[in-house]
Amino acid sequence: MKRWLKEDLWRHAIALVISFFVLFPIYLVFLSALSPTGSLQVTSFIPKSISFRNFHMLFTSPTIPYLVWMKNSIVIAGSVAIVSVVIGAASAFAFSRLRFKGKKQGLQLLLLVQMFPAILSLSAVYVIMERVYSFAPHIGLGTEPGLLLVYMGGAMGVNIWLLKGFVDSIPIELDEAAKVDGASAVQTYWLIFVPLATPILAVVSLLSFIGTFNEFILARLFLVDMHSRTIAVGLQAFISGQYATNWGPFAAGSIIASIPLVAIFLSLQRYIISGLTAGSVKG
Amino acid sequence: MEKLFNRKITVALKYIVVAFVSAILLMLIMSSFAKREYAICGFLTIGLIAIAVTYLTNFSIPMKFFLPGMFFLFAFVVAPIVYTVAMSAFHYETGNYISKPDAISRILATGVRPDPNQTTFDIIIGEDSSKNLEILASDPTNKVYFLSTATTKTDLDPATVAVDENGDATIAPGFHALTPDQQNALDQQIANTRFQYSSSFFITIEGSNVASLKSQTLKYNSANDTFVNVQTGAVYKDNGVGNYANVASKTDFLQPGWRAPIWFANYAKLFTDPQIRKPLIQVFIWTMVFATLTVLTQFALGLLVAMIMNRKLFGRRIYRSIFILPYAMPSIMSILIWGGMFDTEFGAINHLFGTHVHWFQEALWARAAVIIVNLWLGFPYFYLISSGALQAIPAELSEAAAIDGASNRQIFRKITLPLLLQVVSPLLVASFAFNFNNFNIIYLLTGGGPTNTLGGAVAGSTDILISYTYKIAFGAGTQNLGLASAISVVIFFIIASISLYGIRRSKVLDSFK
Repeated sequence: MKRWLKEDLWRHAIALVISFFVLFPIYLVFLSALSPTGSLQVTSFIPKSISFRNFHMLFTSPTIPYLVWMKNSIVIAGSVAIVSVVIGAASAFAFSRLRFKGKKQGLQLLLLVQMFPAILSLSAVYVIMERVYSFAPHIGLGTEPGLLLVYMGGAMGVNIWLLKGFVDSIPIELDEAAKVDGASAVQTYWLIFVPLATPILAVVSLLSFIGTFNEFILARLFLVDMHSRTIAVGLQAFISGQYATNWGPFAAGSIIASIPLVAIFLSLQRYIISGLTAGSVKG
Repeated sequence: MEKLFNRKITVALKYIVVAFVSAILLMLIMSSFAKREYAICGFLTIGLIAIAVTYLTNFSIPMKFFLPGMFFLFAFVVAPIVYTVAMSAFHYETGNYISKPDAISRILATGVRPDPNQTTFDIIIGEDSSKNLEILASDPTNKVYFLSTATTKTDLDPATVAVDENGDATIAPGFHALTPDQQNALDQQIANTRFQYSSSFFITIEGSNVASLKSQTLKYNSANDTFVNVQTGAVYKDNGVGNYANVASKTDFLQPGWRAPIWFANYAKLFTDPQIRKPLIQVFIWTMVFATLTVLTQFALGLLVAMIMNRKLFGRRIYRSIFILPYAMPSIMSILIWGGMFDTEFGAINHLFGTHVHWFQEALWARAAVIIVNLWLGFPYFYLISSGALQAIPAELSEAAAIDGASNRQIFRKITLPLLLQVVSPLLVASFAFNFNNFNIIYLLTGGGPTNTLGGAVAGSTDILISYTYKIAFGAGTQNLGLASAISVVIFFIIASISLYGIRRSKVLDSFK
């Protein structure tokens, strides 16, 4: 009994130290979001007064279209998550289950293109979308649909790869049974695979959503207009240049933007963890 | 089930979707063709044909699954990569962005000088009877009046011209003045037109009612592709790397240059030009150190946490939720917050420890900060992975070892760790590859700094290859897209070989066979 207590004690001690490491920045965010001066300049770790001015500002200030940014981010990340997974699932299914010439080469190509540093093809993407803009101003550079298209292409590789890992783990006997019953590949896909894989597709969508939500460089390059910005670009502007360093609203905005993500993540962690490993390790 | 999935409805739905997508593509094909974007037009046309063949016939079943994904992958991933690789073979930097014909016309446009007397004319901008741009020019001092278009010049008789109080001509036969709105619409054309004056002089418009006399100093000879400066007699020849250079002096270039194919010169520069090679080696070493340290610290802390949490512990669920937080929060925001915390004067870190460390001004501290922040961001991932892997290790193994008299440490080193590494090592390699290109943390936290800008260096102490390359391509000074592309191709080969090693070990490729 005593030995257990002793052992638990040091485990608690380490856990508490790491908890402090993890929570310290998060505590500071709350501190500065709730401070009336709205700075990250710490004079005391205990708040002297609490004010909701920063939160209030986000929703009322005419110069900060916070809700519009939030909407943009959710719309963009949401559409990318759904569409890229729907499209990616079909390819993943084919890679996993169909037999065809060039399958190996296809998978290798998919892996290879993912290894190219995406940031560096930025200028090429920029030039391409600039040209698209010249004949189709609705989907070219500087538009949300244009950014969406580019994201979709970027998400495709990762998603196909992740989803293939999942498909591999679904027993092939089910497909074979369907085949014996006379189902075509397309029917097998819609009738057997999609219903079975729905939870998995949801998880990959979620990972894709988080990834897109966090994307910053392309979004900043593409969306110049104040009202078409995503939340990441909008908030970053608070603490760089334009507004000087406005930590208060930034912190408040970060908290609100984080809550949905953290809530989803914590409630679905079991599924997400399996998602993290499936792409790399074959089960 | 089969009734639910009514065949007729699904077939109809398929045709509707195919028709809808084809219609959009067709529209884009036509408008891109009209704007002469032939490459894009061709790509879309191939896409349209592929859709028709794939979904309206049974030519290839796998293609039915692949086509949409392939379309996006090729348009926004493969095409930009091919473009980048192509760019690496060009002299493509600030001053050499445009094509050769564009560069020639630019040089011709700027290679002019005002006439020695600095002659100017008062003008009215208008059109002649056949709607050609025309100016009515007046020189009231010398009583010279004429009409001029890009091709013709008609002198007017000073005796018959109607003039205003300044002595400027107001009307002329066949001449219609343009309203300010009309002038605005033709702005570009008006600014670029050279109006006739004499064989060696022409008129360009300086304002809405002023024009000046100019002559061409740089003359282009298309027969032997050279420029001649008529003033100095200097001859400029194509130097083969995208500029017209003075035959007499190697450093005298005409601006702008053009993007000329120089094949492997950008790659050669990486190894031969000491001004590029030295920072590149420094950045490469730090990139390796950064990626290695990041993976090791993240894995070590993640494993430690996983082992602590692996047995029952009071409050385990709460701890677990806390430890996942950094992974769940939007990483951009976490990085920016950490950036504020490391501030020297007011940052929370210095305040907490009562220190006065210049975190982002001193190379070593800046590097430490980057590693610490990345540890915070990344250890939850390895915690999650490790705890899953730990649970998968059969308890009998360590129990058997314990019965044989092995100590806890021996059990960990001889049994747990090797088994764990078997599962985790491909993920370690993947994480290494990811951090090798972890642009966001460097860009948002330190911006690559501290940088010795006084020494003219582009590379900062915390710059990794990707952020350094980004600076070369899109930075504040000279932007060299050709060189940056060459570095990206090199990075690609490094990452590809690391990842291939990881894949071999994880046996993912087995499923290809």
